[in-house]
Amino acid sequence: MSDDEVPGSPTPPPTKTTIGLSFGNTNSSIAYTGADGKPEVIANEEGDRQIPSILSYVSGEEYTGTQAKAQIVRNPTNTVAFFRDFLGKGFGNVDPTACHGSAHPKKLGEDGVGFVVKEGEGEEETEISVEEVAVRHLKRLRQSAADYLGREVGSAVLTVPSDFTEEQKSAVSKAASKAGLEIIQTIHEPVAALLAHDAKLLQSGEGDESKHDKIVLVADLGGIRSDIAVIASRGGIYTTLATAHDYELGGSTLDKVLIEYAAKEFFKKNKSAGDPRENARSVAKLTLEAEAVRKALSIGQNASFSIESLIDGRDFTLAVPRTRYELLANKVFASFTRFIEAAVQKAELDILDVDTILLTGGTSHTPKIAANLQAHFPSTTTIIAPSTSATATNPSELAVRGAAIQASLISEFEKEDIESSTEAVVTVTPHTHHPIGIVLGNDNFAVIVPADTPVPARRTAQIPVPAGGDVLIRLAEGVREIKVTKPEKPATNGTKDADDSDEDSDEEDEEVRERVFKSKKVLAEAGIKGVKKGGKVEVQVNVQADLSVSLVCREVGGKGGVRGTIEKAQGMNGSAK
Amino acid sequence: MATLRLSGSLPALPSSWSAEKDFLPLSTLTPPTSRALSPVGPHFLAHARRKRHHRTFSEDEK
Ligand SMILES: Nc1ncnc2c1ncn2[C@@H]1O[C@H](COP(=O)(O)OP(=O)(O)OP(=O)(O)O)[C@@H](O)[C@H]1O
Ligand SMILES: [Mg+2]
Repeated sequence: MSDDEVPGSPTPPPTKTTIGLSFGNTNSSIAYTGADGKPEVIANEEGDRQIPSILSYVSGEEYTGTQAKAQIVRNPTNTVAFFRDFLGKGFGNVDPTACHGSAHPKKLGEDGVGFVVKEGEGEEETEISVEEVAVRHLKRLRQSAADYLGREVGSAVLTVPSDFTEEQKSAVSKAASKAGLEIIQTIHEPVAALLAHDAKLLQSGEGDESKHDKIVLVADLGGIRSDIAVIASRGGIYTTLATAHDYELGGSTLDKVLIEYAAKEFFKKNKSAGDPRENARSVAKLTLEAEAVRKALSIGQNASFSIESLIDGRDFTLAVPRTRYELLANKVFASFTRFIEAAVQKAELDILDVDTILLTGGTSHTPKIAANLQAHFPSTTTIIAPSTSATATNPSELAVRGAAIQASLISEFEKEDIESSTEAVVTVTPHTHHPIGIVLGNDNFAVIVPADTPVPARRTAQIPVPAGGDVLIRLAEGVREIKVTKPEKPATNGTKDADDSDEDSDEEDEEVRERVFKSKKVLAEAGIKGVKKGGKVEVQVNVQADLSVSLVCREVGGKGGVRGTIEKAQGMNGSAK
Repeated sequence: MATLRLSGSLPALPSSWSAEKDFLPLSTLTPPTSRALSPVGPHFLAHARRKRHHRTFSEDEK
């Protein structure tokens, strides 16, 4: 698309550098994966890695990033913020709520979205479409990346929310292309975050944990929205099972709690003063400070509001201990947990099925959110957040790091190859319906290929045979059940218990929920004969693309072994073409 | 994929059990669910490559 390519020029054009780009309603960031394979988040001229997605016009000058954010107090009507989600939408479909404190979106033309600002030095107002706002913002980001890297940046892998429509994706890609960034692929924000997390697991070198089969819930807690994706990660391949979106929950919901509190405390000391919540400038100051307080409380136990001339020339200071904040924001914190649990249900899973919760997005720094999840989810669920895991990647940087990793993986590919690998013929794949595994003694079932695994899939398992001898391998499909037990309750149940003693222990009689797998349908049997004492049997299951299964069982270190194939079901639909 | 280490015990082979080449197929897999993979990450790219070139896992490893 770029016009500076001279056809037939003698020297080939220099290879364009491809970056990873995350463009949120609140912040944007840029990253690059160099020769060492590690993504690096790039700081702009001001030293910011989280660059506010804001533009502001002051006396003919354009401010961006943190400088533009500061203008929300002084110059709100000429400051454009929270606009990303307007791209590719008609005016009738945008929610202007987040723009309350800055330039309001206006209807342009038929059903376009834009802003009216004083761009020049004079009083003249101009209309800028939201596409143009995005172009200007993305140009600055491209320039920052180029300045940092010391070479031209021409393309990017861009993260977008998992609910972005084709229109939204094409609008943001078009804006990027006008800003000189060809978007070689758009990838979903939660998937990008998981890719970055897995890449880090791989680099930390503990086996290849990133390839373990696991259910990962990615919770992207942002500024003005939060998004969940429940992802089946199978051998490092990601399949999204369900997503959930809340357009009213994020860091700004927590800001509001602190603003309310601060305003009430201000009133206690300044009974005669005006209401700072009714004055736009005071609200803007309180909002900026509330965010600063929240960030400080993510690390420390104490923080304070300190605002010069909040209203009527009165200064305002207020100490906020973390315990106080957590009490005040209790309800909002609980709604994060509820929202996350609802996504598990949407994926038709149980909380016991979730192996990992990966917290991403800036608001994921909040310790109480992670702590509540730890308390609510079973101990088998690992919560990855700065406050729960020393090795967690900065959640503000996860998505952009993932984009930079993807950029390094595909930047050498031809455009057609990238496009063809993202087409439905390649991505839409049959997945196992039930877990496949082997039947063990005492009716136990050990999963080898979990449910929701894309085929073809190959898994290998080993099982010790301490006594040796002849053993039976029973390959079967299983089902997952949630077993609920009420500790030592006698059989009589249902009515209110008029039991004589132990009233206390009734309270403690919390039911125990366990995940158990049971064999449902035996697929095949294999006999392994003459296993040595203390030997091991290895089972390799290969589910082919056509849903036939080949099984290889042998004694580890032994000769031969048993091989066999289970034909695919007859007359079955849905098999790969 | 790393090898899974399973715990538990395998049942003994009943003395009456017999099958041709010690393998006895009994039923077929339940029909699959069709879902879209995220076209992201090294393992997806390997999957796409195998699919394009009609290669199996072991052919791909060579
Ligand atoms: N250390 C921190 N502690 C608490 N909150 C933080 C911290 N750092 C950033 N945040 C909050 O994270 C939010 C921004 O998150 P993020 O950068 O992920 O948003 P975004 O993706 O650009 O916006 P959105 O998801 O709304 O489109 C802000 O509310 C900010 O206050
Ligand atoms: Mg976000």
